[in-house]
Amino acid sequence: MAAKRVIVIGGGVSGMQAAITLKKQGMTPLLIEKDINLGGKLCRWDRLFPSQTPAKEVVESLVGQISELGIRTLLCCEVSEIARNEGKIEVSTTDGNSYEAEAVIIASGFDLFNATRKEEYGYKIYPNVITSVDLEEMFKEGRVVCADGKAPRSVAFLHCVGSRDRQVGNCHCSRVCCITGVKQAMEIKELYPDCNVYNFYMDMRMFGSGYEELYTKAQEKYRINFIRGRISECSGTIDSGVRIKAEDTLAGRPLKLTVDMLVLLVGKQAPALNAKFASELGITVSPDGFLKGMDCFENATRTSVEGVFVAGTATGPKNVGESMSEAVKAAMDVSEYINTLS
Amino acid sequence: MANLYFEPFIIPFIIGVAVLFSVMWTKFISWISALPKSDKRLIMKNIFSVATFKALWEAFRECLLHLRIGRVNGRLWYMHTSLAFGWFLLIVFGKIEALLYLDSPVIPIYVDVFFRKYFPFAHVGALGVIMDALLLFVLSGLAAAVIKRFRPSMYGMKRATTHTLGDKLALSALWCIFPLRLLAESFNSAIYDSGSFLTGSLGYLLAAIFPSKTLPYINETMWWCYSTALGLFFISVPISRYLHIFAEIPLVFLRSFKVRANVRATTFTKLQRAACSRCGICIDPCPLSENNISCDTQSVYLLRDEREGGATIAKADSCLLCGRCQRMCPVGIELDTIRISVRRNLREKFDRFDYGYTSNIDMPLANSKIGFFSGCMGRLTPSVGESMKRIADKCGLNIWFMDAEEGVCCGRPQKMAGNIEAADKMREHNEEMFVESGIDTLVTSCPICLRTFKEDYQLKGIRIIHHSQFMAELMESGVLNGLDKRGTLTYHDPCELGRGLGIYDEPRLVIDRIGTLVEPPRSKADSLCCGGSLAHLGLSLEERNKIAATTDRELESTGAECIVTSCPMCKKSLERNAKVRVIDISEAVAERMA
Amino acid sequence: MMKNFGYTINTKRAIDLDKNDLSIAEEVMREVPSWSLCIGCGSCTATCTAGAFTDYNFRKTHLLARRGDIATLRKELDKCMLCGKCVLQCPRGVNTRGVIAALCRLLPQ
Repeated sequence: MAAKRVIVIGGGVSGMQAAITLKKQGMTPLLIEKDINLGGKLCRWDRLFPSQTPAKEVVESLVGQISELGIRTLLCCEVSEIARNEGKIEVSTTDGNSYEAEAVIIASGFDLFNATRKEEYGYKIYPNVITSVDLEEMFKEGRVVCADGKAPRSVAFLHCVGSRDRQVGNCHCSRVCCITGVKQAMEIKELYPDCNVYNFYMDMRMFGSGYEELYTKAQEKYRINFIRGRISECSGTIDSGVRIKAEDTLAGRPLKLTVDMLVLLVGKQAPALNAKFASELGITVSPDGFLKGMDCFENATRTSVEGVFVAGTATGPKNVGESMSEAVKAAMDVSEYINTLS
Repeated sequence: MANLYFEPFIIPFIIGVAVLFSVMWTKFISWISALPKSDKRLIMKNIFSVATFKALWEAFRECLLHLRIGRVNGRLWYMHTSLAFGWFLLIVFGKIEALLYLDSPVIPIYVDVFFRKYFPFAHVGALGVIMDALLLFVLSGLAAAVIKRFRPSMYGMKRATTHTLGDKLALSALWCIFPLRLLAESFNSAIYDSGSFLTGSLGYLLAAIFPSKTLPYINETMWWCYSTALGLFFISVPISRYLHIFAEIPLVFLRSFKVRANVRATTFTKLQRAACSRCGICIDPCPLSENNISCDTQSVYLLRDEREGGATIAKADSCLLCGRCQRMCPVGIELDTIRISVRRNLREKFDRFDYGYTSNIDMPLANSKIGFFSGCMGRLTPSVGESMKRIADKCGLNIWFMDAEEGVCCGRPQKMAGNIEAADKMREHNEEMFVESGIDTLVTSCPICLRTFKEDYQLKGIRIIHHSQFMAELMESGVLNGLDKRGTLTYHDPCELGRGLGIYDEPRLVIDRIGTLVEPPRSKADSLCCGGSLAHLGLSLEERNKIAATTDRELESTGAECIVTSCPMCKKSLERNAKVRVIDISEAVAERMA
Repeated sequence: MMKNFGYTINTKRAIDLDKNDLSIAEEVMREVPSWSLCIGCGSCTATCTAGAFTDYNFRKTHLLARRGDIATLRKELDKCMLCGKCVLQCPRGVNTRGVIAALCRLLPQ
């Protein structure tokens, strides 16, 4: 009987969920995480749409199961080399060890778009231009203020920063920023009911269950101003405000607005690591840089290389729930694959 | 009555010469007489000066010795020089030969050209050796030309020019001339047992091969063929690229008299167009050809189409006006200005832009004698303005950010599109604003604006400088000091700043003070284009990215941790594809202030 | 005469795709294929240098051109400075300057 070792690359939600499911299926997973703790990008998040569940709850539940099940975990450890030899997956890590397994699940996630690349929005130039991640960290700390420590009286959100933008080479939609914009706008209003909140968007893509309802609530209950138009550029004002230029495309007129804070809803993009996986394992990469499953349906978590599986945002932008469901699917596929080996 | 030495076989030659000279003189005289008054005044002013001698010297150097080609490409130089200078010497020595032999001051031109046919026994000594050597020299150039046509890579050229029908006709005739001359003279030698080392030896051989009674007939035919090839070539000169042989001479003189091409085309533009030899040197340096974007829109093809009746707007628009080809052109044709003038001709009737609304714009009051103009693109790179603010603060200077709110475009983008009248309207508005504001120094971070400010604007009493020059001055005078010197930086010369305005040193002086400058393989006048140029109206984003990526890879090959440039457009284009940081020179300085 | 109480659509207000001549739009589309990518986000109009001083709205102008509603458009384009900011702003990578240059030539003068 063959060994049932599986390496899971990435200790975010999908990596953890995959490892847990594998263990429950009688496999021996090894979880590799580059950060100091498990949880991935979710560690920086406060609450999750659409239910406002604290991200901490999701992470803690998964981490709890990992330790309960005694899943072997390597922290602060990155993959330096990966290869498939004679039906085995060989992974070398930055701590100098190498590991062998029958299969691997790549759950290495995404990179956040670097907002300084959209220089015209003034991120890191003007103190009150922040990203959605910065704002989420503020929510987490329970203190949402401008650079001078004062409460914002007006906040603008800009959708699609680094997504659907060929100027920065990202043609894809990051999917979750629309609903994140709605969620964060509402949270601002909860904190500061008198604050004027504006969301500048190209399209509102409310694809998930409960999203459209949240959008409606944001309009009806919180009176958030949704303006259809993309901000073209910003400038700083003397009192550290942010002056915005956009077109209100529905009114058909250019629009100027000065706010205390501008939040850039940064998108997801494929990490540079994907190219490494592609070249060393021979799996395919989509034009947007994300890894490619064998198809978009039944075999979405399998790849063109036997023994190599993918899960979560490594294959494209997804929300937390989708990533976790996909991780379960990947783990089931791995079990099935390993059982056919013996 | 003087001896006319008429023989029937010279008829094709005579017709050729007559057609060539009448067409050419008509063209040149009509062009020169149709020049604008200002150009004519320049000619009158400079014709009786040292400029004429300079032009003579240049015409000898460039029209015969082709020294500028020599600097670009040695093999190409040999080809051109052996053909042009060799042929010229053949004509000169032919004349000498005839003069010495006939001892008469008036000898018809065909006598020296067909001297061997007329006087087979004359001068087989030293002059014969010289003539044969010259013929060999020309023939070697011809061989080089044949090789170039079929294997341009042997000359380091990726692409050779494609030819028109006129070119092909002239080329075929040209290629026949010298082999036919060799054969004709050799058959002559075969009959008369004359000729020097080349024609004599070949004649000896021919006499051995051909029956002696056929030789006179073959000889006569060969001379007919030779004369016909010459005649055909001369007739096809005005409809082919070979017009350059003659057009380059008046061009050299007019240029020496300081006549220049204008964006509103004059007959000097036509002369320049005629002076293009279609050598194709402009094709390879073009970023569009280097990146396989378009290989039929380069300057050589634009000028050719214009001569053949008019370029299409798509072809005229397909150019970045980066100036790389102009720098390489061995004839020194003002390719960028000519291209703009072509665009203007094609767009003139659509140039109805109306900026009447600019008369209502009030500029905010100046609060300093130093005005900073960020330009349209500068509004999309706010870190440049912010860095300039910090630098000014550190130096204790007050800078007026004149277009911080809004500003009217400098007009150069319209000018490059050929909409000259539109550009003039914007220029007039800005001139008035700048002068009325009372500034004495106009600093801009945009080389596109800078170029038109310097070349087209009338701004009396206002010094116009680029922000890199401004910073260099502050550093030189010790006002801007205490900067960290760290990191390896490479510098991308913006086309408009470098080739356009010749500003290469100041940015480097600045970078030298703040880090270690590493030059990319092609830099300064040879630097690549970022692909962002507003001059090209047809490029897609993907094509622009392709050009930028080539430039990025070249800059990254230096191993520098950061690409520094000094143009908002270059910054935007390069950072899309770069693997390292791309920053403006002002940011690099501001980052290193204590 | 019957009074119009607003129950019918004023034909002058509607874009009449049954009648409008789309041949110019097709020609411009051939010259500048990226034109088809516009999603009407308004970045071009927001950033427009001429738009800062006038009511020039490139998004609307070019959209009307695409719909064949071209009678008054040429005059609108006369305000454009061709500065090129819109090209750098377009998230879909539309060659907006190319579109403007083509429309200037092809629209009825």
